[in-house]
Amino acid sequence: MAKSSLDKKFDKIREREESKSFSTKKRSRIISKFVNNKLAVFGLIIFSIILLATIFAPLLSPYDPMRVDLRSMRQAPSFDHWFGTDNTGRDVFTRVLFGGRVSIFIGLGSAILSALVGIAVGCYAGYKGGWIDVIALRISEIFMSFPQIILVLLLVSITGQSLFNLMAIFIVTGWGGMYRLARARMLSLREEEYVQALRSFGLSTFTICYKHMLPNALSPIMVNITLSTAMFILTEAGLSFLGLGVPLNIPTWGNILNVAQDILVLQNYWWMWGPVGIVISVFVLCVNFIGDGLRDSTDPSQQG
Amino acid sequence: MKKLLAVISLVLAQLLFVSTVSAMPTNSNQLSDPRVRQALCMAIDMVTIGETLFEDQIIPADSLLPNGPLKAPNLPDYSYNPEKARQLLAEANWDSERELDMVFYYGDQSTADLMAAIQAYFADVGVKMTYRLLQGDVGAQLNSVPADGVNGPAAVDYDLGYGARAAMVMQEYYNTFKTGLNPQTPGDPKMDALIEKINSSADPEVLKPYFFEIQQYQMEQVNICPLYYQKLFIYESNKVDRNGGAYGNAQYNYNWDIANWNVSGGTLQTNTGPVEFFEQPWYNLGLWIHNKVVFDRLLVADGAMQPIGTSMAESFDLSSDGMTLTFKLKDGLTFHDGEAVTVEDVAFSIRSAMKAPQMHALIGNTVGSIKGADAFKDGSTNDVAGIKYNIADRVITLELSKIDPNILTTFTQFAILPEHLLGDTDPLKWQQSDFWQKPVGSGAFHITEVKMNDYAKFEPFDNYHGGVAGFDIIAYPSYDGDGNLIKNAAAGKMDYGFTKNVADVAALDAMDNMMTKAVDIPYTRMMWIMQYPKP
Amino acid sequence: MLLVISFLVYLGLELAPGDAVSHMISPELASTITAEQLNAMREAYGLNQSFLTRYWLWLTSMIQGDMGYSMAGGVAISEIMAKTIPATLELSIVALIFSTIIGCSLGVISALKRGSGTDNSLTVAGMAGVSIPEFFFGLVAILLFAIELRWLPVGGRLLPHYETVWDRIPNIVLPSMVLALMMTAGAMRYARSSMLDVLSREFITTARSKGMPEWRINILHGFRVALTPVVVLIGFRLPLLIGGSTIIEQVYQWPGIGSMFIRSVRASDYPLVMTISLMYVFVVLTASLVIDILTALIDPRVRLGKE
Repeated sequence: MAKSSLDKKFDKIREREESKSFSTKKRSRIISKFVNNKLAVFGLIIFSIILLATIFAPLLSPYDPMRVDLRSMRQAPSFDHWFGTDNTGRDVFTRVLFGGRVSIFIGLGSAILSALVGIAVGCYAGYKGGWIDVIALRISEIFMSFPQIILVLLLVSITGQSLFNLMAIFIVTGWGGMYRLARARMLSLREEEYVQALRSFGLSTFTICYKHMLPNALSPIMVNITLSTAMFILTEAGLSFLGLGVPLNIPTWGNILNVAQDILVLQNYWWMWGPVGIVISVFVLCVNFIGDGLRDSTDPSQQG
Repeated sequence: MKKLLAVISLVLAQLLFVSTVSAMPTNSNQLSDPRVRQALCMAIDMVTIGETLFEDQIIPADSLLPNGPLKAPNLPDYSYNPEKARQLLAEANWDSERELDMVFYYGDQSTADLMAAIQAYFADVGVKMTYRLLQGDVGAQLNSVPADGVNGPAAVDYDLGYGARAAMVMQEYYNTFKTGLNPQTPGDPKMDALIEKINSSADPEVLKPYFFEIQQYQMEQVNICPLYYQKLFIYESNKVDRNGGAYGNAQYNYNWDIANWNVSGGTLQTNTGPVEFFEQPWYNLGLWIHNKVVFDRLLVADGAMQPIGTSMAESFDLSSDGMTLTFKLKDGLTFHDGEAVTVEDVAFSIRSAMKAPQMHALIGNTVGSIKGADAFKDGSTNDVAGIKYNIADRVITLELSKIDPNILTTFTQFAILPEHLLGDTDPLKWQQSDFWQKPVGSGAFHITEVKMNDYAKFEPFDNYHGGVAGFDIIAYPSYDGDGNLIKNAAAGKMDYGFTKNVADVAALDAMDNMMTKAVDIPYTRMMWIMQYPKP
Repeated sequence: MLLVISFLVYLGLELAPGDAVSHMISPELASTITAEQLNAMREAYGLNQSFLTRYWLWLTSMIQGDMGYSMAGGVAISEIMAKTIPATLELSIVALIFSTIIGCSLGVISALKRGSGTDNSLTVAGMAGVSIPEFFFGLVAILLFAIELRWLPVGGRLLPHYETVWDRIPNIVLPSMVLALMMTAGAMRYARSSMLDVLSREFITTARSKGMPEWRINILHGFRVALTPVVVLIGFRLPLLIGGSTIIEQVYQWPGIGSMFIRSVRASDYPLVMTISLMYVFVVLTASLVIDILTALIDPRVRLGKE
């Protein structure tokens, strides 16, 4: 049977599609809008500075974050120790940098991973529907019917404390929101004409779902990732206050800030908690600015 | 064959080193080599740690026993000596790739700091170590004893442990080394014999040389490395005047004579108030304020837990063989609800203590030594053969089946509880009784108002035999180590309390209206060393 | 739903290390307690029964309205709940009122002065509020107001000499303000955007064209219309708040359900953990249902049952 010219045209499009020769260049509007948002740009700059500082921590500080020097404990900030030293004579500046590595890793890592899980499940279930969707929906409902902190506390006490467990718990408690978001976008996109068209080309569900529909749902997802990052970093700090966070032998921002519980330290040794408190708050604030900027630049219904 | 070789080499070692300690590992675990244990002990600079981390408020330890008359004269010296430690480790062929796993159970910041410091000291002599806070069933993870109490393998999975022993009587430091009772140290007939000796008499002078001997032996073995002696700090606001009342080991009951204190303003604020219920007084003997003031005991101890006189008892008599103890109660004693305190209540309390599971070892030992205790415990009799009493004469006699060197100390701590209110309670669920929502005792104060988790109020008891106090007590729900102490004290919400946290002491000393008083207590912080082979 | 969750939580607790009995023994005394004693205790608490039997017993008594007893102290759980829930509600509601009032007024000001320096700095300040770790903020507030200045108590809820409700006000100020600050940003954002939305609507333009003074337009029309959905939305952030107050309760020694939950989780007090977590779930589920209904009532465009 001879193919009609329309068929041939469609086949060509399909070929190009499958050989990935299409490229999209439509994000410029969003970027320019983001750049115009001063707070978001400011946030992004500070965020990058802190992130880079923690990544290149060994270059910025001559000290080992675990090196104990009892005879020089609780020294006020000086040229040698920019943020002073802590109860065991460790350099606070170095610990803030290395602690940042872990805290940012937990925050950003858990946010991205929970987003990946949520999106993978949400897109597929949202597009296909059926029993997969029903099951995924019920599971997410179970997780979402607890206040977040309560569920985290419960899970930490069940699994015990470790860096890995904490991230796993953050992912388990965090994927539900992302799943619902992705699913809702999929449900509305599913009925749009371009998706119907793609389906008529005979593209696989997988390609349609993840390659063509997902990019259109990306902006709220990005917003969600930034906001979850901020939330996870704060939750980590809160858990270490309750003694249920990352084990104390690993420096994290939460663990370093925890010394503020000792009123003596709080009253007399501001450098042991002040800088790290400010760094956490500023970092989270910047992440929130970025999230806010992203939301404003991608969501037309939110006016500046 | 392997065993034979081990025995031969052991004998050889004995000959070569002319020492009582076999400088050889006794099993596949290198920590069973005393040289390694000595090295670990010498690697830690406890003096510097004491002067810095612990604000000069602790005493580095040279044996498990606290400093005092029982301290053996020529103990081996394990003070900080990194060169010697490296040398010993080299002799023992220490596997520098091995990473030791240290566990601890205190969640506070200064313990975390101490762990970081020890980790650094170990690294300095070439020993790798990581540390972790135990969670969940801490007792089982720490203290499970191997099925084979000589060869192991270990029933727990750590290499080192940081913890403490708070002893009331000195035997408690060594009794757990008995074969089959110790989670870390393999049984040893010589140790068993020494333990037997220190428990053989009620006369401290007889026991003294035995304590020297066991102390010397334990330190040669260093199967536990003693780290430091913890002091206890009593703090008081300037509202309080003890009026001659003594200061002592505030975790227990002693002759502090609270009924005669002067408290300006008429209210003494303290911590250790109830959250959900009042804890029964036979477990943490004097930890809670209600343990101390609501209940009363037959005898009184001084601040170092030596029995010095009577409280509810009018007189007592311990037979010369130490096997029979007789008490006569004072006349006219009543509980706070007006019911008379009788020797029947004393007998009831002892019987219940035989069955109730949450029990301090001291009390458990004493009640377990009473004739007929075993038969009563397993339910084959309804009465204890060794307890005889006469209500009208107010006399109760206890006959023992084995000697208990600390029986008098026990009765300085053992609260007498009312049978008419607790008689129907299942001893196994002792703490579950409604009674503990607002307990009734016969002590100097009675509970008048309870707002669980907010405060509890205690008022003087008019019929207390030791005098009627002139002030009330308010107890807030905060505990040693929960971090609220300093906040509350700084805000003027604390007039009396005690703490073992040296960081708190520095903060309290800095407050104008508070004074702290250090009390030497038998409380040794130590590092346990796992000598059994790994499971 | 509750049933499934209750089973999962029970299963989780079963898998957690340690049980109520092991938590009753302090580590320093653990070596003095024999395995027989522990087993006797487990038997007395029914912990030697199989997992499913225990779950079934718990479930049936729960359905009959008997929440059971706390393991550690044998106190009726209904009694514990009756004491701790009001404390948490008190704190949350006061915080909610504070945050709503502050948030809405700042949000409206922001909207009216849209794009100005005030608007921007308010937005930044609001976001800073949610970016500071709450325990840290709470501790610094204690240092400042309770220890250095001594204006307010460090914590606690009731004191023996308190007779009327007024006596208790100083105790609630710090925890509720700190908690409120954490939520002000959200309220502000809602208020600002719905105010902006309303200001652009036609009836405002009409009013303006009739020559009505600007302030009257803002207050009479804009304000009222804009704030209705905001208030409703904020009202239903309460369940979020109930969970969110956990850490603040801990910082301020507030005897609420959050600090009780932490205690019971640490003590593996199964019956108590179960009841409190189910209560949380119940509150969240009810609230989301009510929110659905209310939003449907307020906004006719949203119909119930629509995904």
